[in-house]
Amino acid sequence: MTVHVRTLDELLHAPLEADSDLTTQEYLVNMGPQHPIAHGSLRVVVRLDGETVKEVIPVPGYVHRGVEKMCEHLNYRQVIPYTDRLDYLSAIMNNWAVAKTVETAAGIETNDRIEVIRTIMAELQRLQSHALWWGVTGMDLGAYTAFLYGFREREIIGEIFEETIGARLTMNYIQPGGLMYDIKPDFAAKVKKLLPYLKDCVEQYETLLSGNVIFQERLRNVGIVDGARAVALGCTGPVVRASGVPLDLRATEPYGAYGKVQFNVVVGTVGDCWDRYYVRLEEMRESIRIIEQLIDGIPDGPYSTIRYNVELTLPEGIHYGQVETARGAFGVLIVSDGKREIPYRLHFRSPNFNNLWVVTAMAPGWRIADFISIQSSLDLVIPDIDR
Amino acid sequence: MDPESLLALVETEHPSIRRRSHADRPAVSVPSGELLAVMTTLRDHADLRFDLLLTLTAVDFPGEDRFELLYRLYSTVHGLWLIVSSDVPRSRPVAPSVSSLWPIAEWQEREAYDLMGVLYDNHPDLRRVFLEDDWVGYPLRKDYQDEYMLELPK
Amino acid sequence: MGVALGKLPGIVERFPGGAMAITRLDAAINLARSNSLWPLMFGTKCCAIEMLMATGASHHDLARFGAEVARASVRQADLMVIAGAIVKKMAPRMRLLYEQMAEPRYVIATGSCAISGGPFMYNSYTVVRGADEVVPVDVYVPGCPPRPEAFFWGLLTLQRMIREGETIREPGIRRKPVMAALPEDVSLHEIRAEIRAALANENVIDVTQAANQKPWARKVREWIQRASLR
Repeated sequence: MTVHVRTLDELLHAPLEADSDLTTQEYLVNMGPQHPIAHGSLRVVVRLDGETVKEVIPVPGYVHRGVEKMCEHLNYRQVIPYTDRLDYLSAIMNNWAVAKTVETAAGIETNDRIEVIRTIMAELQRLQSHALWWGVTGMDLGAYTAFLYGFREREIIGEIFEETIGARLTMNYIQPGGLMYDIKPDFAAKVKKLLPYLKDCVEQYETLLSGNVIFQERLRNVGIVDGARAVALGCTGPVVRASGVPLDLRATEPYGAYGKVQFNVVVGTVGDCWDRYYVRLEEMRESIRIIEQLIDGIPDGPYSTIRYNVELTLPEGIHYGQVETARGAFGVLIVSDGKREIPYRLHFRSPNFNNLWVVTAMAPGWRIADFISIQSSLDLVIPDIDR
Repeated sequence: MDPESLLALVETEHPSIRRRSHADRPAVSVPSGELLAVMTTLRDHADLRFDLLLTLTAVDFPGEDRFELLYRLYSTVHGLWLIVSSDVPRSRPVAPSVSSLWPIAEWQEREAYDLMGVLYDNHPDLRRVFLEDDWVGYPLRKDYQDEYMLELPK
Repeated sequence: MGVALGKLPGIVERFPGGAMAITRLDAAINLARSNSLWPLMFGTKCCAIEMLMATGASHHDLARFGAEVARASVRQADLMVIAGAIVKKMAPRMRLLYEQMAEPRYVIATGSCAISGGPFMYNSYTVVRGADEVVPVDVYVPGCPPRPEAFFWGLLTLQRMIREGETIREPGIRRKPVMAALPEDVSLHEIRAEIRAALANENVIDVTQAANQKPWARKVREWIQRASLR
């Protein structure tokens, strides 16, 4: 078989399946559960013809801890530390989802100070999470430098968390009715000092990676999924926004202080890996903008409106609350029997579990190296898939 | 569209459904036999267009001998919310699969099957998703027993 | 000679009767092993972000301890860092990974989940209560998740264990597992000082002082005193 290619453009757009009369055999390749691109322990079985992906079969469950069963034995405040351990890169936002659901159901009022601090913390963590994702995507695609830069910003934002919360990863910060700790007196000054630096960092990310030809070639027009298909496959967050659907819970049903601030919902146009990459970079800029608007006027007031040793009993029925984490809509479904202070049934709507399955629609037809770009652009956190 | 007119519209389309009380968002209760027809209307009706199936899960009520299936729908077109609930008997937990309407339901139903043991008719690939294939029992059921599991000492 | 003796006293030894120096093979091998640990790229949960990624990045920099060559292939790795909960579905796979690793292999269990099941100990139907139900663990690093500094402490503990550990005659016979708990009020600064001190002094033994502390030393001194009096 000889393939005549004259120009680079022709090479790039050459049909993926070479028209050859050679008989080939399809074969299965197991990626994971221990695999460098799995970012945890996800197993993916790939059916290949040569290098072309025919079918992708994700096999999750290697970190399935049965959190939902455990939550049936815990009261609502004890549930919160477990949400840290689902999507650990959006721990504060996961805490918020539980706190928000319990507050709405039990009729607990919060004040402006609590909501503003929650919003600032959530946006800082979104920045941290996206910085980490940017670094790891770079590493997956062969640019180890990006990993070092992404983690540099993670550590710098992490220092602020550490000072206020005392944790680096599992925050347990937002509680029903308030916050775990008050902010330190110099919190606002420190964050304000950090913002111009982070702005520069996003520009630096653009210079380092976005303009790179190899990086662009590996992302552009790879793994396209249109908006309707992405929604039908249950995607939320940057994945669905990259396909042009402006679904952002911060804008569609504003919670916290998001109703008071100006920000844009970033959407893509094509729905390829590049759009998913760029939507997250733009979201970092929007997050900085949100913090800028809030950091100057943190209102005064108590940092919690209820005592923490109060036993909360929710009224009988279904209670659902959700927030926009760095990866999409994280929802908490509580079924309460109205008698006990523990949930009768608790279900987490995890964004990663629902975002994962879109690979089955994206990857077929692409080469195995493109599959790495596709999986990396979804920004999956495996313990959140498995719960 | 406000919740009241949404429920009224759904009720006129399918008279067999009932409003479900004790829910924080508009909720309806559907007999499991008509679930697929109702879901098709909810997805395709021009004023509803529920195109995002956010959550699909099941709740076990062993005392009442039923599983309650909960579907949370969201319309990205109109910004609407709806909870659809449907009861199936615990002794024969069979419900129609909605994976032909929303592809994501294929895996959400696999999760419900894996952890709760609800069977879905016309599901393309009903296997366990988290646990091993040879796992015995459905762990999220209230009467699940496991000799390895430790209870928290009082 | 002086330089070598000063730096590597455990390896180069002075013969009692002269200036002859030999290298103990065990000590040399263990020194090499302890300073070139190749961790396996294997993380299951939150701890992996801290243990394998944050430590590998520039701020904490695992390379200072010679353990930065994280390998994706088990065949090339000799250190398994168990970062996160092990569930029943994962346990046989992890055992398989352990058996495929190059010998001698070392295991550090980081975080509560890998030590005992941690927060998932009760009412969980899948979590294995401690990675030591599956593989033998050398060093436990507590925390949920442990800080990178705590992990370094565990790594230094492991390095010390390796240096004092196996011999060629008895491969596989090594020290018992230890809990490398970071003491309270220990900062990164103090750890750096400790590392510096460890690198400078830890392996040095003052032979005169050590000899004087032996129980027989006092008796001999008494004999000599008695003899000189006579």
